[in-house]
Amino acid sequence: MKRMPLLAFLFAAATAGLLAGCASPRPDAIPPSVEMQSKPVPKPEILVAGLEPVAMTSEIALLPDDDWDWEDDQMEDFYIVADPLEPFNRAMFVFNDKLYFWVLKPVAQGYRAVVPRPARTGVRNFFTNLGAPVRIVNNILQGKGQAAEAEVARFLYNTTVGVLGFGNPARHNPGLNPDSADLGQTLGRYGIGDGFYLVWPVLGPSTLRDSVGRFGDGWLYPSNYIEPVEGALAAHALDSINTTSFHIGDYESLKAAALDPYQSLRDAYIQLRQAKIKR
Amino acid sequence: MIIKGLTATLFVLCLLIGTTAAAVEPLTPMETIRERIDQIIELLNDPEGADPDLRAAQRVKLWEIASPMFDFEEISRRTVGPKWQEFSDGEKTRFTEVFTKFLSNTYIDRIQGEYQNEKIEYLQERVREPLALVRTKLVRESAAMPIDYRLRLTDGQWKIYDILVENGVSITQNYRVQFQSILQKETPEDLIQRLESRLEEQEQSRVQR
Repeated sequence: MKRMPLLAFLFAAATAGLLAGCASPRPDAIPPSVEMQSKPVPKPEILVAGLEPVAMTSEIALLPDDDWDWEDDQMEDFYIVADPLEPFNRAMFVFNDKLYFWVLKPVAQGYRAVVPRPARTGVRNFFTNLGAPVRIVNNILQGKGQAAEAEVARFLYNTTVGVLGFGNPARHNPGLNPDSADLGQTLGRYGIGDGFYLVWPVLGPSTLRDSVGRFGDGWLYPSNYIEPVEGALAAHALDSINTTSFHIGDYESLKAAALDPYQSLRDAYIQLRQAKIKR
Repeated sequence: MIIKGLTATLFVLCLLIGTTAAAVEPLTPMETIRERIDQIIELLNDPEGADPDLRAAQRVKLWEIASPMFDFEEISRRTVGPKWQEFSDGEKTRFTEVFTKFLSNTYIDRIQGEYQNEKIEYLQERVREPLALVRTKLVRESAAMPIDYRLRLTDGQWKIYDILVENGVSITQNYRVQFQSILQKETPEDLIQRLESRLEEQEQSRVQR
C-alpha cells in the first residue's frame, strides 16, 4: 500500500515537471469555474470529489418548481441506505482516514508545493477529459441525448483546441458543460436501488449498486488499459493526488463539523448520489 | 386625500428615519443573504483578521453579522427530527443553545481559517411564502461549489433553516442522521452532553493554535 503512492509521487513529480514546462506560459490561467470528474475518485472525501460539471443556467431552467421539496414538515422520511456491514465499513473508514492523513495528504501537499497551479489544473483537465467516454455512454443510456452530444463536442474541442485535454477551452461555453453521468447513476435511474452502503479501502464510500457501476465504467476508462498494470495504477494515483491537491482541508472540515464523521460522510455520499440520480 | 396626506407623512418619516424605515419593506430572501454575506466577505478581506491577536475580535464580529441570518430554533428542531417532541422545554432550550454554539464555532473557524478570496455568485431566488430557496455558487480558485439556502419567513424576516451543498446535500439532514442514531440509544440529555464535550474540544484546539 505504501509503495504505490510513493511510486505514484515520483511519477507525478516527473510528469508534473514536464507539464509545468508547457503549461506555465499561461500564467493567468483563469480558474476553471466548473469542472471536476465523475469517474472513480479514490480517497475518503467524496463530498468534494463529487463536484462535477454543472451547467448552471440550463440546469435552473430545467428544474421545475415541483422538484423542490416545498414540504415544510418532512421530518420523518428521508432517504437512507441500509448498512448491514457497518463494522467492516467503519474499519475501512478508519483505514481510509489514516491513508488520507498519513499518505495522501502529505504527498498532495508536497505535490502542491512543487507543481504550479496551471500544471495541476492541466492534469485535472486531462483526466476529466479521459472520463468523456464514460459520461457519453451513460448519458445515452439515460436517454439524455443533449448532454451526450455536449460531452462529445466538449471532448473533441478540448482534445484538439485544448491540446489533448490539458486545456479546457470548453468551460467558457455553458452549453458544453452538462452534468456528469456514470453507470451507478444510470442504474439508479433505471430504478435499481442502492442495495447497501459499502466502504472500499482506498476508493472510499460507495454502495452495492455504485460499486457495480464503477466496475462497469472501468471498462470505458482509457487509463485502465495502460500496460503494465503499474502504469495504470500510477495514472490513478497521479489523478487522485492531483485532485486532492485542490481539496486539502475539505475532508478535515467535514470531520470537524460532525459528531460522527462516519455517519456524516455516509449520509453526504447517499444524498449526493440521490441528488445526481434525480437530476 | 387622507391617504395622500398619510403617504406624504410616511415619505417624510422615511426620509427622517432613513435606514430604519428601510426595514419596513422586508428584504427579499436573496437580499437578506447577500447583505450579510457581503459584510462577512468585507470583514474577511480586512487584513486585520490575519493578526492572531485580533482574530478573536473578528470571530465575534463575524458571529454578530452572520447569526441574524439563521433561525437556530428551527434548525435545531429539524436536525433532531421527530424525537424533538420527547425533549422537555428545558432540553429544547439547552440543545438549541449548545448546537448553535457548535455550529457557529465550526463554521466560523472554517470561513476564518480558509477564506481565500472566494466569490459568491447569486444565481436565483424562488419564493413560495413562507418558504424560499436562494441558489448561489461559491467560486473558489480551484472549483465552484453550488450552495443553496432554504429560508423561512418568521416575524417578517427571512431566516435560513437549511443549507444544501452540491445541489442537494442537506446539512440539516446530515446532522439529523447523526442525532437520530444517538437518540435511538441515548437520552436527549446525553446528546446535549456530547455536544458540550465537542464544544470543549473545539475550544481547546483553538487555544492550542
